[in-house]
Amino acid sequence: MFTRLARAILWGPALALIPLGAGAHEIVGNRFFPATLVADDPGVNDELSLPTASLFKTSDVPSVNELDIAVEFSKRITDDFALIVQPTWTHLYAPGGPLGNGASGFQNLETTAKYRLYKNGEHEFIVSVGLVAEWANTGAKSLSVDTFTTYTPTLYFGKGLGDLPDAVWWARPLAVTGVFGYAIPSRSRTIIATADPDSGDVTVDNSPNPRFFNWGGSIQYSMPYLKTAVNDLGLPDFINHLIPIVEASLQTPVSNFAGLDLKTTGTINPGVLWVGNTFQVGVEAIVPVNRQSGTSVGVIAQLHLYLDDLFPTTIGKPIFGGPVTPAKPF
Amino acid sequence: MSNKSIIAALFALPIVITQASAHATLDHSDPRVGNTVKSSPSAVTLWFTQKLEPAFSSAQVTNASGAVVSSGASVSGSVMRVGVRSLPPGTYRVHWKVLSVDTHTTEGSFSFRVGQ
Repeated sequence: MFTRLARAILWGPALALIPLGAGAHEIVGNRFFPATLVADDPGVNDELSLPTASLFKTSDVPSVNELDIAVEFSKRITDDFALIVQPTWTHLYAPGGPLGNGASGFQNLETTAKYRLYKNGEHEFIVSVGLVAEWANTGAKSLSVDTFTTYTPTLYFGKGLGDLPDAVWWARPLAVTGVFGYAIPSRSRTIIATADPDSGDVTVDNSPNPRFFNWGGSIQYSMPYLKTAVNDLGLPDFINHLIPIVEASLQTPVSNFAGLDLKTTGTINPGVLWVGNTFQVGVEAIVPVNRQSGTSVGVIAQLHLYLDDLFPTTIGKPIFGGPVTPAKPF
Repeated sequence: MSNKSIIAALFALPIVITQASAHATLDHSDPRVGNTVKSSPSAVTLWFTQKLEPAFSSAQVTNASGAVVSSGASVSGSVMRVGVRSLPPGTYRVHWKVLSVDTHTTEGSFSFRVGQ
């Protein structure tokens, strides 16, 4: 998904894309890591984001409004390994699109294979690895989708601060997540030939396909954790389900961008999640970090369903592997 | 149906899915998490968000030195009760591990204080 933003920078009046809802909720000891909206988190689970919707202004000149609606389906193959499919439908408002009157369609399909590498409940620590692929030519041509596939090996981590000393008990509900990926296009260059409709002259645009370092994460303060693991302050029930969160998602060009005026781009996303037993809802602002990342503050919202809780005996359990091991009494 | 209506309908889905089962997580306890009680309780009571499997759900209470100060736990529905000996003033930690009726295992811990 990160590479789509890079493409928008390369091709000018195309679509600017932010990563949408590739997170997964996860329980690690006392800690519940919620699904995040923008920066992918380390969770591996059965779940469905239906939908993740965002509205923001692109970095194009002139800037245009872009509406993205994404669906993410994550299915565990084993307890530690999941496959994720995420189609995203985009609408560019005028003067966007190739003719300046807007454009709509699906973006290139994105898939992720994610494996939970390490999980430590005592220290609320989890590490996962994954391979994200954005598949060439699977989206609408009117959106100028990439004609090459991009593979992004990715490292994810999450750490809850529940093991802090008593003197800073108030900080124990804090948790951080991080994601680091290296986006590798399947082709090093893209060549596009266009003919002038009047003269018939053909011009050839031969541009490199840069490699990007994708990085980001979240800082979150869990009110459920505060109530059930640190200090029950007797707050209203609604408050006890909230997780204020700030996410960040950035892309830094690393190589193969000679001649292109590329900078680090991305967004900071402050917002809040409401977490229930079987679903969560979240809303965040989309704040571009510079002019190359967007021209005004946008918004992103998500409804996220926990399939492992909704359908624990059918689609909410891993395909392979025995039944969940019962907890042994002390 | 307009795009706005479709999006509104999708975000209304939680209304129809609130009756599903889920992980059993701690909802609240007595003594309350992180709070101080004046005198020793006779038991620690834990309320969970889902019904528990009694045979595979338990809890322990330990004192500041790690010694167990609780007796056995009993489960009724989504409530677990752990008997404790007369507790002198100090900080105590409750460790719980439960299996919900939909076979999800969860665990956690928290502290409370007596007479401080």
